[in-house]
Amino acid sequence: MPESIPSSLIIDAFKEVFQTERRGAKRQDPLGWIISVPDTHQKSVLAALDKERSLRVLTCSTEDDANAVAAGLYMTGEPVILMIQHAGLYASVNTIRGISMDGKVPIFYMIGLLSREKDKDPKDSRHSMVRFAEPLLDVFSIPHARMEGPDDVHLIPEYYRKSRERKGPAAVLVGLETA
Amino acid sequence: MMKPEEILKLIAAARGTAICVPTMTTGPGWRKIAPDDLSVGCVGFMGGASAMGLGLALGAPDRRVIVFDGDGSLLMQLGSLATIAGAAPRNFTHLLFKNGVYHTSGSQETPGGQGVDFAAMAKAAGYRATYTISALDDFKKRLPTLLTEDGPIMAQLMTGLAESTPMTAGPSTPFHQQVAEVRARVTGAR
Repeated sequence: MPESIPSSLIIDAFKEVFQTERRGAKRQDPLGWIISVPDTHQKSVLAALDKERSLRVLTCSTEDDANAVAAGLYMTGEPVILMIQHAGLYASVNTIRGISMDGKVPIFYMIGLLSREKDKDPKDSRHSMVRFAEPLLDVFSIPHARMEGPDDVHLIPEYYRKSRERKGPAAVLVGLETA
Repeated sequence: MMKPEEILKLIAAARGTAICVPTMTTGPGWRKIAPDDLSVGCVGFMGGASAMGLGLALGAPDRRVIVFDGDGSLLMQLGSLATIAGAAPRNFTHLLFKNGVYHTSGSQETPGGQGVDFAAMAKAAGYRATYTISALDDFKKRLPTLLTEDGPIMAQLMTGLAESTPMTAGPSTPFHQQVAEVRARVTGAR
């Protein structure tokens, strides 16, 4: 059965990612940028981020904005993670294609599967917004994995690295609401 | 009405180390006027110029970032005005080239046409200062302020149509190459 992941584990993983990315860089403040269009599924992480002084959170009006801001930050050498919801993935498909895929901008996405039922695989969900997220990522050949519990937090640095290596998008889906 | 190319020439002469973000009909003109400029066009995701400029401004606070936006383009991501105002980058200049039409597709009027006041919208969203400029002499006079005043600022520029559009001009440098070049130049300069 999937389990909720404590926000502290996710934030530690973000910091690990950014520390690795910043190694040897002059600029260390902020350690990294979280670009967010607030996702109810990851609200405990967003609440905890409010108290984090080393990470800068920028809230955007739309996921289109978030992707474009991430591209600008990437061009200046700044490390970025995007936190969005599946609905935001659907809303910003053209921007993801234009920026991250065609533009070869490495962007790592944390995508919340809001309303995913604990006892069901997402493909069997009664909610279309849950069912279509992974197939959509497949259509665009965007590498992705699902975090189903605390043991899966290693996927965050792994897929962040993947986005850098392939110079394009990579995503981790958050299976259950974070704790 | 001002000619977009005349505005771009003045900016090219005054921009210093700024990073420029042209989009749509300012793209071909800017390539011709400032071919070696530190700039990255918003190509393939219409509407994203302002938010991409915001990312550049936040990541390179020591440089000015100048976005050459279009009215049709900004309408596609109008919420970016609030995103930019919320982030409040002091080094951000938003130049809105307002011609009231979608030039590339045959000059259909944009929703609301010339009646839409983008400067008022930006001011209401929280930009530090906004201007509306209709004459080239006035633009010339205000340009030093537009490039140095604390941002985010917007100047709504009342213009005619550009001489060429991305559809009529020759091929441009692919977006991914522009991204790689700007990243190399900006990060290499640190």
